[in-house]
Amino acid sequence: MTEAASPLPAEAGGSLPLSRREFLYYLWGVSMAVAIAGAAGATIWFALPRFKEGEFGGVVTVPVGELPPPDSEPQPFSAGRFWLVNIGEQTEQDPRQPPVYPLTPGVKALYMVCVHLGCLYKWVPTNDRFECPCHGSKYLKSDARIDGPARRNLDVFVIEAVNANGDVVGRTEPQMGSSEGSSVLITPEVVSLRVDTGRKIVGAPNLKPGGGI
Amino acid sequence: MALFRLYLPFLDDVKAKGVKTAVKAKVDDVFTRITTGMNPTDVRMMLRDDPVGRPNPRLKPHSESFWFHIKPTYYHQLMDGFYPTFRLGWLSTYFFVFEIVTGIYLMIFYTPSPVVAYENMRNLLSNVPFGALMRDLHKLGAEAMVAVVALHMLRTFVTGSYKKPRQFTWVTGVILLGVTLFLSFSGYLLPWDQLSLWAVTIGASMVEAFPPEIVGRTLNLIVRGAPEFGANGLLRFYLGHVVLLPAIGVIALSVHYYKVVIHGHSLPPEAEAVGEDTAKRIPMESRTYFMPKIMTRELAYITGLTGLMILLAAFIYNAPPLEAHADPLITPLHITSPWYFLWLQGMLKVGDKVMWGVILPSGLIGVILLLPYFEVGPSRRYGARRIGLSAAAMSVAALSILSFMGSPWYKVTSSPDQEAVAALLPQTHPGPLREAPWDQLAFGTYQADQWASAPTPALQALLRLYDDKLLAAVGPEQQNPEAIMLVEDWQTNLKKVTLRVVWTNPDGSPHEFSQSVYLHRDSEYSGG
Repeated sequence: MTEAASPLPAEAGGSLPLSRREFLYYLWGVSMAVAIAGAAGATIWFALPRFKEGEFGGVVTVPVGELPPPDSEPQPFSAGRFWLVNIGEQTEQDPRQPPVYPLTPGVKALYMVCVHLGCLYKWVPTNDRFECPCHGSKYLKSDARIDGPARRNLDVFVIEAVNANGDVVGRTEPQMGSSEGSSVLITPEVVSLRVDTGRKIVGAPNLKPGGGI
Repeated sequence: MALFRLYLPFLDDVKAKGVKTAVKAKVDDVFTRITTGMNPTDVRMMLRDDPVGRPNPRLKPHSESFWFHIKPTYYHQLMDGFYPTFRLGWLSTYFFVFEIVTGIYLMIFYTPSPVVAYENMRNLLSNVPFGALMRDLHKLGAEAMVAVVALHMLRTFVTGSYKKPRQFTWVTGVILLGVTLFLSFSGYLLPWDQLSLWAVTIGASMVEAFPPEIVGRTLNLIVRGAPEFGANGLLRFYLGHVVLLPAIGVIALSVHYYKVVIHGHSLPPEAEAVGEDTAKRIPMESRTYFMPKIMTRELAYITGLTGLMILLAAFIYNAPPLEAHADPLITPLHITSPWYFLWLQGMLKVGDKVMWGVILPSGLIGVILLLPYFEVGPSRRYGARRIGLSAAAMSVAALSILSFMGSPWYKVTSSPDQEAVAALLPQTHPGPLREAPWDQLAFGTYQADQWASAPTPALQALLRLYDDKLLAAVGPEQQNPEAIMLVEDWQTNLKKVTLRVVWTNPDGSPHEFSQSVYLHRDSEYSGG
């Protein structure tokens, strides 16, 4: 690398040679850019919240005695941010249930937050469905969206059914690819459910009026 | 032995000229320093608008003082009147400063923590002298600022003032519009009542939709400080509201106004030849000097507008009373985001979050931001810009329609019983029952369909509304619907009002829904 031979600035072609000083300045500039990018990354890391054990996000244990009976009204569990629903024969044969979503008897843990814009939908016994007070999304007990601006079914948490020995005898499995959780059948040997609020299965797409893909 | 010597030329002057003359000269000197170059006679002549000689002493502050160097020395006569600026840019700046000043007052009594924020607000509204007035002023100023800034942008578009050479001025203006909206939005959360929490929850959910999913989730966590609003989210919104956004605003406003001054205020489109920009070449005879005309007028605006704001806030405008304390487990019926985001909610009722909530609005902002770089037609004349002006008119119409669609009247209905009760006792604002004159709520049990026989006019009006809403909401599924209102004497100066809706289900079983509210004689709703 040589010093610029000509003191004249380049006219219109970029024939000005790169001097050592200039090159070092650019090198410094690049290193500053890398440092700023690193600082930005560190800032994001810094600003991300950290979760403590036992908060919402951990595993919530529900004894079988607290489960709602099949086809009864859903039961809210506010600390874990979920509704427990028990799907029985009547719910399964609900004519409003869009046929594309498979439905089996058992328990589901529905994440309490509407998948549209984050409000808390509530159970409206008069209409036998969940309704969101903000923008009017409607869901069945089964988690299926049947109306409103939401574009998918409700999200569910992974449930494990545990017997007296502590063995897992049934669990929520993804269905329809990975986008819909199955219900967990409560057999007589089950003594409690473990709801993992850190593991959310996102609801299947559901766009049509009345429900369906 | 002296470490330093005191030298006071003033004393020499006193010796030479006598006390009276020396003091007068000294006072003049100090005065001239304060005005950065104008002696008392110059100032008097300026205020009387006397003809000025050369060198013009009224130009000196513009070159020597910090505050005056920001303002242009003279304006074009055509910019002197209301048209074409409507003073909207000036008003935006005024409200920005107004909000900073009133905001600092509010900060004195506010702590951004879910534990005490609501209590702080209660204290501010009921115990602090002028506390409620300060909140009203801040809220009224905020609403006015959003409207004024939006109108300023519309005006700039209509007169074609974003065109060359003012493209970058427009870009900084769009940034300022964003700052204004986010300032209003972040302030919404701070009172920490139900309306704050849920209106902001809805707005913030848009962030979560940002694709791909990992980015949306991370952004959401950074903005809220947790999966849902709580202590972290409130603190973050507070810091954004009082530090980050105002800082961005001050910087963007400085650049914006520097560009305005450097390019000159763009003249009315019809005042110059097509493709020309003569704002910086103002002929001698068309100049209006800042001193005294513009300066005194702006001072008069500040005085009058501030007085008007105080009068409005004191006698006419009342910021909505606080709702119940924020509850992360109950979403009120019919909650919406603030009015200036209703259009976005309307779009989100039409389509999905990613397309309509993120991609489309981002695209729209991008188009608006870069508008002056691709819309390069040379003419600013209204007649030559039919497409652009039609597009602006259509955008305004579309925004109005989308805003309506974002409101609860469009496609959000719950069950008939809840709708009928919410008509009297809404969950998002005080509503007719809470605002009814307390004395007129006579004790007794009333049936809504027999509203005409109620003892007081207020009760009649309430029952009639109740009956209308129920009849409008019920369908054939609900047989023999009945709406009942029960007013009881609960404690001294406290009435319990119960609203009950009953009907018979198709299978013959009875249905009942009821909701109660306690109304105090001295509550802030009815004015006793």
